[in-house]
Amino acid sequence: MELLTDSFISAILLIASLDPEVFSIVWVSLKVSGISTLIASLMGAPLGFLIAYGSFKGKRILIVCLNTMLALPTVVIGLFVYSFISRRGIFGPFDLLYTQKAIIIGQVILILPIVTTLTIAAISRIDERYRKTAMTLGANRWQTACVIFREARFGIVAAVIAAFGRVIAEVGISMMLGGNARGFTRTMTTAMALEYDKGEFILAVALGIILLVLSFGINLIFHFFQGRTRT
Amino acid sequence: MLYALSKITRKYGSRTVLDIPLMEIEKGAIYALLGPNGAGKTTLLNILGFLEVPTTGDILYSSKPVNFSESSLQNLRKEVVMIDQHPILFTSTVYKNVEFGLKIRRVPQKKRGIIIEETLDLVGMRDFEQAQAHRLSGGETQRVALARALVVSPEVLLCDEPTSNLDVENQAAIINTLKQINEQRKITIMFTTHYMYQVSSLAHHTFFLDHGKLTTAQAEPFCQG
Repeated sequence: MELLTDSFISAILLIASLDPEVFSIVWVSLKVSGISTLIASLMGAPLGFLIAYGSFKGKRILIVCLNTMLALPTVVIGLFVYSFISRRGIFGPFDLLYTQKAIIIGQVILILPIVTTLTIAAISRIDERYRKTAMTLGANRWQTACVIFREARFGIVAAVIAAFGRVIAEVGISMMLGGNARGFTRTMTTAMALEYDKGEFILAVALGIILLVLSFGINLIFHFFQGRTRT
Repeated sequence: MLYALSKITRKYGSRTVLDIPLMEIEKGAIYALLGPNGAGKTTLLNILGFLEVPTTGDILYSSKPVNFSESSLQNLRKEVVMIDQHPILFTSTVYKNVEFGLKIRRVPQKKRGIIIEETLDLVGMRDFEQAQAHRLSGGETQRVALARALVVSPEVLLCDEPTSNLDVENQAAIINTLKQINEQRKITIMFTTHYMYQVSSLAHHTFFLDHGKLTTAQAEPFCQG
C-alpha cells in the first residue's frame, strides 16, 4: 500500500513539474492514436453507413465477420502487420517497421471494425420515419442518407470515442510494430510496460493518471456536446 | 382528375393488403378515408404519396401515367407530401425542420425565411421558431409537421390520422388549418380518421376502405344530418 501511495504522490509531482519526457511520451501517444482514429473514422463511418443502409447479399455474414474482428488480439494484428512490413515482407522496402506509421497501420486495423460495427448499430437504431419524412419532403437518395447520418451523429461520435479509447490504451501493436524507441515510438502504454519491467513505478503511475484524465476529458467533452445539442 | 388508380394491388408476401380496381380523386377537394385498423389506409396513402410502389396496377397523376422508377417517383414526391400519424421531427430547431423541404428545392435563403415565418404564423408556431423540435408537445409537433409540409406548396397533402392523440384545442387548430389551406391554396387533401365529427367538419367526400377494398370507386359526397 505504501508503494502505491508513494508512487502516486511522486507521480503527481512528476506531472506537476512538467517533465519533458512524460510530455514527449504523451504527445507521441496522442499523435499516433489521433491519426489512427481519424483514418479509421473516415473509413469506418461511411463503410458502416453503407452496410447498415444498403441491402445486399451477404450483409449478415459481413456483419458477423466484422463483429468477430472486434475480438482480434493486438498481438495477432502486430504479428500480421509485422509479416508485411518486416525486411522480408512485401512492404519491407518501405522501411516502415519500428516507425509511428507502422503503429498507425496496426491501430487502424484494430479499430476499423469498432467504428464500423458501432456505426452500423447507430444507423440501425434510427427511426424509419426519418427516411420516410425526408423522402416525402422531396429528398433524393443522397439527401435522405444525409438526414439519417445526421440523426445518427451521437452514435457515430460515440463510436469514434470508443475507438480512440481502444487505441490509446493498447500496448501490443505499439510494442511489436513501434519498438518502444524513446522519444520516437514510445507511447504511454509501452512506457508503462517498460517501467514496470524495470521496477520503476513513478513514471508508470504518472502516465496511468494522464491516460485516465485524458479518457475522462474526452468523455466529458462528448457529453457536454451531446447535452448542448439536445437542450 | 388528379389521381386515377386502376387495378391497384399491394401484397406483402402472399398477403394482399390492398386491392383497388378503380379509384378517382379530384383536384382541390378534401377526402376522408375511413376504415377499421388494418384496412390498408396507410398503405393507400403511401402509394398515393409515391412512397410505396404497388405490386400491380397503374396510376394516372394529373392525367399522366406514373412511372414507378425511383427518379420519376422522386419528382412526383415534390408535389405530394404525406404527414405521418406520429410525425417525427429532425433533431434540430423548429426553423431548420420547416426549412428542410425548401433547402432541397434550392429556394434562396431570404425567400426561405419569409415563407417559413408566414407558414409558422399560419399554424400558430411562430414563437417556437428557435425551439428545439424534440422538446415540443404532441400537438406542437403535429403543427410543425404540418408547417414543414406546407412550406413546399404541395399539390396534395396526405394526412394519416392528423389529430390522433391530440387534445381538443390542438385538434381544432389542425382541422382549421387544413380547411383554410384548402380554401385559400386549393390544395387537395386526403386524411384518414376514426372520428365522424372530423369528417363532417372537414371532408367534401369520403372513401370507405375495408380489408383493402374500397366500397365504392367514386368518393361519396359527405351529407350532413
